[in-house]
Amino acid sequence: MSSIDASLFDFHRFAIQTAWLGVFLALLNAAAVVVERALFACNEARRRRIDRRYEPVARRALDGDEAAVEQLANSPRRHRIAIAWMLVRPLYDDRDRQRVARARTIFQAMSLVEVADRWVNSCWWPRRALAVRALGLFQIENRTAAIVAALDDDHAEVRAAALDSIADLGDPQAVMAVVVRLHDESLHRGRRFAAIAAFGPEIEPSLLEMAGVDAANRLNYARALRICGTARSLPTLSLWTLDPDVKVRAAAFEALGHIGLDRHAAPLALEGLEADDVTVRAMAAYALHDWAGPGNIAVQLAQHLDDRWPVAVQAASSLKTMRDGGVAALQAAASRPDLAGELARQTLWEMAARC
Amino acid sequence: MLTPIWQAALMAFSLAVAAYFVLFNGSQILMGLVSGLFIGNYVRTRTRRDVALTARVAAAPFVSVIVPAHNEALTIVESVRALLALDYEPREIVVVNDGSSDDTLVVLQGAFHLLAAPVAFAQPLPSETVRGIYRSMDEPALVVIDKANGGKADAINAGINAAAGALVLTIDADTIIDPAALRRAVLPFLEDPATVGVGGYIAIANGCRMQSGRITAVMLPRSWLARFQVVEYMRTFLLFRVACGSLNALTLISGAFGLFRRDAMIAVGGFDRTAIGEDMDVTVRLHAYYRARRQPYRIVFDPSPLCSTQVPEDWASLRSQRLRWRRGLLQVLWRRRRMIGNPRCGLVGIGALPYVIFFEGVGPLFEIAGYAITAAAAITGLLDWTTFGLLIAVSVLFGVAATLVAVFLNDVVTRRYMGGSDLVLLVVAAILENCGYRQLNSWWSSVGTVRTMTGRGEWGLMKRRVFEGQKTPV
Repeated sequence: MSSIDASLFDFHRFAIQTAWLGVFLALLNAAAVVVERALFACNEARRRRIDRRYEPVARRALDGDEAAVEQLANSPRRHRIAIAWMLVRPLYDDRDRQRVARARTIFQAMSLVEVADRWVNSCWWPRRALAVRALGLFQIENRTAAIVAALDDDHAEVRAAALDSIADLGDPQAVMAVVVRLHDESLHRGRRFAAIAAFGPEIEPSLLEMAGVDAANRLNYARALRICGTARSLPTLSLWTLDPDVKVRAAAFEALGHIGLDRHAAPLALEGLEADDVTVRAMAAYALHDWAGPGNIAVQLAQHLDDRWPVAVQAASSLKTMRDGGVAALQAAASRPDLAGELARQTLWEMAARC
Repeated sequence: MLTPIWQAALMAFSLAVAAYFVLFNGSQILMGLVSGLFIGNYVRTRTRRDVALTARVAAAPFVSVIVPAHNEALTIVESVRALLALDYEPREIVVVNDGSSDDTLVVLQGAFHLLAAPVAFAQPLPSETVRGIYRSMDEPALVVIDKANGGKADAINAGINAAAGALVLTIDADTIIDPAALRRAVLPFLEDPATVGVGGYIAIANGCRMQSGRITAVMLPRSWLARFQVVEYMRTFLLFRVACGSLNALTLISGAFGLFRRDAMIAVGGFDRTAIGEDMDVTVRLHAYYRARRQPYRIVFDPSPLCSTQVPEDWASLRSQRLRWRRGLLQVLWRRRRMIGNPRCGLVGIGALPYVIFFEGVGPLFEIAGYAITAAAAITGLLDWTTFGLLIAVSVLFGVAATLVAVFLNDVVTRRYMGGSDLVLLVVAAILENCGYRQLNSWWSSVGTVRTMTGRGEWGLMKRRVFEGQKTPV
């Protein structure tokens, strides 16, 4: 009996201690909620206060008022980061060169470039990311090396910021840094291609040059040329449509479709329609869209309306763009009772609906 | 008089019940810490610029939004209008009229000038017969599929078949999507090509002000029943799911909002038409499929509120909803039992699913048994009231502590309900929810278990309420 009593006593003690632990945790968490809300409210109030005070001044400064720039330059140091945010926010969407230049002048006048330079080497990653973004958004001169170096940062977010920054910077010197890292999986995939898109055709010669010496990563170059390629890339892409790697072939056809075929590439696309791989056939069919050159290509393309589904869809889509030849081929296929006929009827219906 | 052995057994049982409460709520608090780390990083990295990334990439993925609709005539037009106003391109809206017996198709035809159109598509997933396909003359991005009734999973499968997008978003007809939700949800697919699915935090729309199918003002619901569900959803989504998502062990992408790679859905055979919890079933199958093939994959949870939904505000609807969830959970756990504890299934097998089976599967039964036996023992004098009171106190206090962690995380990630009165109401709801509502849920779970075991169960209907500023219920 005594052992049970002792156990009961122990259980009571355990239960009481656990209940007190529960009280402590509940109160601690309630306090955390209240403190976090209070801190957030204080920060918001401070931000609103600074916005109210400096927004009209910043607007005047952006309009070229030297006195306003001076006033911002003499603002208390503790307000400067908040003011910089005020300047940065519109630059995300509006990359007008004059606006960026005026914002840069204010940024420099407030001695924030020095702060950004310091923060680029900070041990705290959010500061590094912020500084790298600011240098790009304000297009600060002679900071390309620092931004490119950030592509090799330990933290993924800083590397992502560096890619954004390179896109914002628009410095041709940074182009190669993106090109050589096109296949670097440690960098954010979407941003890698967004940076390529930001440079546009300007990056094309570097891509072609790199592709010539880096055959192992041809797939990435083909994908990049799909974004920024022009007629200059047609010979290279045409060559890649015969690559042993089916992924490269498919990507090359996709890029050709984006750029538009010439009379040398069109027969290759027709050849691609007979490839063993479904994706290659589908992309070859895609490459033929808008084709208005010689040859009865529409008829050959219409034969693929009963191919595997991705190929059939791309073939129908391309036929839609081939004007009279495409319409005739679709009308011929529309009487078929199978899925190919249904697809042809759908495509004709869509063309009529668009009219 | 009870023999000492029985008394010792009763004490041991009481101890086990107390340990269960501590373990369950303690694990939730620990998951809150894991979620906190993830959310801290998320808040820093998901800036406005990141959300705008889809506009900067050369080819943002085409998304097909699939809306299964069964007898939704009252609400479908407003829902579709809200979807057409989504801030994302390229996308299409595929409404699947799942054999509605009301005027769902007629109102859609009238509102969007639908015309029967020949639409060809391969049908890799099984579904009931498609009776007709309609395209809108006003909205080129709208496709309406009319098919024989086959249930929600069947309707989604038909939608996936017809989808032109590389990504498919499956939602409920009454889901109210945040305008920026797609731009956010697509980001993991842009980051990592191995991403196969993205789920999101489902916020509660009750009490909010609505206009044109969009939430214009977020407010706490007026009824306490809905408020309890607000804190309950916070706990479910922001503790367990965020923690699991951060470890690639998410077991459920909610049917109210799930973005999937279409090829992955086809690879796993789409939604199981016989599953009651088809959303959990497909999520677990995605894990199983990629683990079995040793292919890299990622199932991500986005902790920001991507959409909102209306929750039941009457006890009968809530009860039938919970009974249905229970049947769905037990069915999935039974069907995927080989994955439970299986190290080949990674953290899903050795962590998430055992957790679900222990705390969500068995837990409610143990909890109800604990309350019943200790209360009976206290009433008959076999257990002193102090011990009973301490057990209840431990259950409530740890529950409140875990819920407050979720409220904290909700504040950080969503900034919803930030008014002073909201804070008071949330804290009161967090306390009261642990003093009856939670126990009632456990009771319903126990009843649901018995009904599932005995093969009884019904789907049940939910009474919908009218939002502030709206004429028809959504």
